[in-house]
Amino acid sequence: MGMAIAHAQASGMGGMRTAGDLVARVQLAKGCRIREAKAYVAEKLGTSVMDLVDPVVMGEVRADKGLGTMMPLAHTPKGIECKFNIARELDVKINCLGNFLGKTGLGGGE
Amino acid sequence: MSELFVQAKQAILATDKEKALEAAKRHLDAGGEPLEIISRGFVPGITEVGEQFGRGTLFLPELIMAAEAMMAVTDLLSAAMAAKGGSVSASPSGSILAATVKGDVHDIGKGIAIAMFKANGYAVHDLGRDVEVDEIINGAEKHGVRVIATSALLTTTMSEQKKLEETLKKAKLRDKYVTLVAGAPVTQRWATRIGADIYAENAHIGVVRVGEKL
Amino acid sequence: MSKIWTRMGDGSPVELTPAELRQDLEDGSADAADRGGVPGLNEDDFKYLEELFARRDRFVGVDVGNEVVLTYDGAALKFKRHCLFEERLHVLTMYEKMFGADTVELGHVDYSYKPVKPIVNYEQGTLEMGLLTTHSPLIYGAMPNLGLYTRPDGPCPNPMELLPQGKIKEARAAYEDMVEEAVRDMVFVVGSMYESGADGFNLDTVGASGDADVLAAFLALEKLRAKYPDIAVEVGMAGEFILGMHGELQYDGQRLAGLYPHQQVKLAEKAGAVIFGPVVNTNTDQTIPWNLARTVVFIRACSKAASIPVHANMGMGVGAVPVTDFPPVDVLSRASKALVELCDLDGL
Repeated sequence: MGMAIAHAQASGMGGMRTAGDLVARVQLAKGCRIREAKAYVAEKLGTSVMDLVDPVVMGEVRADKGLGTMMPLAHTPKGIECKFNIARELDVKINCLGNFLGKTGLGGGE
Repeated sequence: MSELFVQAKQAILATDKEKALEAAKRHLDAGGEPLEIISRGFVPGITEVGEQFGRGTLFLPELIMAAEAMMAVTDLLSAAMAAKGGSVSASPSGSILAATVKGDVHDIGKGIAIAMFKANGYAVHDLGRDVEVDEIINGAEKHGVRVIATSALLTTTMSEQKKLEETLKKAKLRDKYVTLVAGAPVTQRWATRIGADIYAENAHIGVVRVGEKL
Repeated sequence: MSKIWTRMGDGSPVELTPAELRQDLEDGSADAADRGGVPGLNEDDFKYLEELFARRDRFVGVDVGNEVVLTYDGAALKFKRHCLFEERLHVLTMYEKMFGADTVELGHVDYSYKPVKPIVNYEQGTLEMGLLTTHSPLIYGAMPNLGLYTRPDGPCPNPMELLPQGKIKEARAAYEDMVEEAVRDMVFVVGSMYESGADGFNLDTVGASGDADVLAAFLALEKLRAKYPDIAVEVGMAGEFILGMHGELQYDGQRLAGLYPHQQVKLAEKAGAVIFGPVVNTNTDQTIPWNLARTVVFIRACSKAASIPVHANMGMGVGAVPVTDFPPVDVLSRASKALVELCDLDGL
């Protein structure tokens, strides 16, 4: 655990505090390297690449676009609700969303 | 004569038991001293085998075959020395007891170390894995070994190596043995802290340090 | 001249003169370059590392803009080691919200694919619940762990008992049987969890049982990619070179035994990996500067050779992190920064 915290502070993008989870998602979905992944996310969100690790800027962007925030207020997207917004904003496939739509009868299928 | 030493070294590197025995026999037939071909031919060969294994250019099956070739030539050369009336063995003095400590079922590292020790002419008694401290000590007493080597892959099982040191002291047997500790989380710092005689970063270093200690 | 305070590979403090520091950096670099047949460090690299170790900061980090993505191994299980009995899904949210994690990883306490097989339905249920509440990519991780396929834990004879008896042919046959069993289990478990919605997978500590372990991971990955073309799998290695326990196993026409990270990554790509996690082992008899220089050489060569993202392993005993349960942040953060910045890494 201590190791995870130390690396997150020394080298990590910041996870949900910034856009770390979004860049990670693009890396996984597209298999692209860090520069391309960051550039892709910045372009889709309409930010600069440097903004992606800024918790002030990204806190606002995430709140505005419903991508999930560290302290989610009432009536704001949480959990899988945010994933639908992330898939749309980043134009990436998120595996579990198809299952969700199928199980709820809202569309798609498992 | 030096051509035979080269052949001896090459035979071990090629894991060729027959060629190794042939070099040893030709050396003896020519009136050579058994220990000379060991130290100038076979030992440099097995040392290089160990180094190549450590670098990932030679693999475990070859290491085992090299060990078998070494054992065959040391048996032959020891017999030749005995026939000459000498009492000196061509093998390094002392044998080794090896075990993975209680609670730990990992035996790859131990297996590699055993192969390396055998390749260098040591007799090794392998007690296997998940072995109680008492069983290790009883095994050492039974086989009359000089070295007790234990492996622990987990931070949760390293404490068994400390227990071994303490139990040996309580039984007033500590000075009788050289203890060697190894395993992924084991370090020189740990060895020093528990009072083990040798820390082996890897199998090759283990052989070197046991050789120095004995 | 003042001495530079750093540590040995086992974490013990040590002081070096600037000349000793430089010598250790050069020796570590030369060792890796020689073993791997790859370029060593250049003068700029040496200067970077000399300055990094000369700094008196307790903690250092990458320059702004150089941040990378973090993936984990067995993250949700690490609470248990500390006797913190938090439910796994709760742990995932803690990683996400409290630890700055860019991804989260779910894993079974055994952290091997084989034991998950009989309980995969329960794991699927847990994963599906986790996917509802987390936001970050949720990865399922475990090890191929071929050791679990030997008697008494599995159906195959134990090669480590056969080899010392000189039964090389039998030992090799056992490894080949273990590969088949492990591939079947990995494809089954990973496929099931993918169908439950996992964002990615970690085949972790690949090669722990040697070349057969690596072959099993690559063959399983091939099958998974064929069945699920979009599946994202990270291959994390166990050691810096592939141990030749069998010695003759090949993948894509290349002998696996003895391959170093820059060679391993190309085969992982061929098998269908989306992320590669190379390992360089920490030598406890050497200083951290020696280890870090050596690690940079290997990992940089891997990163240069790669077409996919490279997430170097940096935990206890690997990636120039000391072999100690609680690695000190002074050397840990220096290793973290240097590896990311000198190796052009995509993640850790």
